[in-house]
Amino acid sequence: MSTPLLEVKELSKYFETPYGLLHAVDHVNFKIDRGKTLGVVGESGCGKTTLGRTILHLLDSTRGKIFFEGEDITHVNRKRLKELRAQMQIIFQDPYSSLNPRMTISETIGEPLRLVKNLKGEELSREVRRLMDVVGLAQRFINTYPHELDGGRRQRIGIARALALNPKFIVCDEPVSALDVSIQAQVINLLLDLQDEWGLTYIFITHDLSVVRYLSDEICVMYLGQVVEKCDADELFRNPLHSYTQALLSAIPSPDIFDKTERVLLQGELASPVNPKPGCRFYPRCRNGCEDCLKPLELVEVSPGHHVACHRYSF
Amino acid sequence: MSEEKTLSISDLVVEYHTDHGVVHAVNGVSLGLEARETLGLVGETGAGKTTIAMSILKILPTPPAKIVSGEVKFEGQDIMKMDSHDLRKVRGNKISMIFQDPMTALNPVFTIGEQIAEGIHLHQNLKKGDAEIKAMEMLEMVGIRRERFTDYPHQFSGGMKQRAIIAIALACNPKLLLADEPTTALDVTIQAQVLDLIGELKERLNTAMILITHDLGVVAKSCDKVAIIYAGQIFEYGTKFQVYAETRHPYTQGLFDSLPSINKEVPRLKPIPGLMPNPMDLPAGCPFHPRCPRAMAECSERAINPTDLGDGHWVRCINPIN
Repeated sequence: MSTPLLEVKELSKYFETPYGLLHAVDHVNFKIDRGKTLGVVGESGCGKTTLGRTILHLLDSTRGKIFFEGEDITHVNRKRLKELRAQMQIIFQDPYSSLNPRMTISETIGEPLRLVKNLKGEELSREVRRLMDVVGLAQRFINTYPHELDGGRRQRIGIARALALNPKFIVCDEPVSALDVSIQAQVINLLLDLQDEWGLTYIFITHDLSVVRYLSDEICVMYLGQVVEKCDADELFRNPLHSYTQALLSAIPSPDIFDKTERVLLQGELASPVNPKPGCRFYPRCRNGCEDCLKPLELVEVSPGHHVACHRYSF
Repeated sequence: MSEEKTLSISDLVVEYHTDHGVVHAVNGVSLGLEARETLGLVGETGAGKTTIAMSILKILPTPPAKIVSGEVKFEGQDIMKMDSHDLRKVRGNKISMIFQDPMTALNPVFTIGEQIAEGIHLHQNLKKGDAEIKAMEMLEMVGIRRERFTDYPHQFSGGMKQRAIIAIALACNPKLLLADEPTTALDVTIQAQVLDLIGELKERLNTAMILITHDLGVVAKSCDKVAIIYAGQIFEYGTKFQVYAETRHPYTQGLFDSLPSINKEVPRLKPIPGLMPNPMDLPAGCPFHPRCPRAMAECSERAINPTDLGDGHWVRCINPIN
């Protein structure tokens, strides 16, 4: 078997707060093969963004290991990290704060080209224009500043910037959440085309399950820092096992007016991830909870490739 | 019962006059809304949805906004002709609005309770103390415990803030509720809770509602009528069934084709090609024609008028889907 492009083992990221340790990412394991997409789904505060950032060393991991093309990159020196970063990029969630307001579009997209590829003058400008074309930004915006553009166009700048260095691996952190549906579909198709053409590998972080089904090969569902279910994308939608996954799926309003599926409404909101108790973190909101749920639990493989962390499935 | 519609908008035209030119935000929108009806106003960013809602309350910043023409009649009275004194009696009382972003719609230096009680105190001639009691009831009605009355917005989660905003909006038992993307900033499980809550309270208080959204799924769950809006014009209007099951406008179809589905495998999404037109420089004729797969020569030559398809379903297209 070939080495997976990316592998994380027992990856954890805790933040110290005045109230205790915040378990943002807790013992997460997965592998992604080259050219594949791992979808990471969950609600705000479940640690999906922290997971992406920890992998890219934008945050230091607390525990666990990260392997990129078989190389342990958990602790690497700055020189190597700089090389790695050209191959690992991120598309940020919030197109309003991820762009420098003092840089024009051409400066923002051109910066990595200038710093890493040493492009200058006409060559630089040609490459910037090509990237703008790729992401569907009209040429008339080349000298505008981010504040002049709407969220959708800003996000395209972010995508162009991430693509500039021909990376192997991109963490897409909610890249289409800010876009309109017709544009969202264009960007999703664009991300898929780029993946086919250049063999890109994605971690696709989103709260939108319909998008994730369409894009991903495998999906991790996260709840309060932990992976509660992990399996093949189609399997997750055909046969969701964890109560949280089932509730998430049923909460999505379907555009099919003939769809009369009964909705499972979740009670309450996310609990605090600070000093969580052992046992299932979803227990307070779970319909199928029992006393066993307060005991520690692990992700178990219930059928080939289908992992779930729930006492109803541990034997 | 009077025959009067709760709301009727006719030929509304709104422009924004900026240093760079004139933005044609709303270009001749006509709409009617019966009592207790829910209308879904669906469109993409920049289609003019929020501008329409703000025109109904006359809270557009003028300048740069300019209401060029049109009538907005609420229970028979033209809002455009009201003075500020009369408007104040309507706003937050008979018509109220839920804004898109719960994080910024609340005032951070007042408690949640004070913000709910404010409208009640002003509109219902209740003393402060009585208004506060009513406000506490509202808070409970939206599912927040009474003890949270003296909390500040930063102590609330996003979903709770949106609940508090709903409590403010419904506190005076309005006839018309304008909900501008009320759940866009929320997580799906919370979105489902909030939509259910809005639906239930609307039913209980007999409120008509305009639900502004870009999410066709949200509309399918909660609306009676649907208006699809693009570049400041309504492209298709009808009951939910007509618009979803008997789609006639190519743009409406394009929106459906762009949606990834959780229920079925789609080999590849079919996005609408191109981008939204620049509202300062709208294409002649139908503003959608440069992106439209069914465009004919005539589409770019003249303004397109709505075609009545019967049973209240109409479409603004000369070559609609059959």
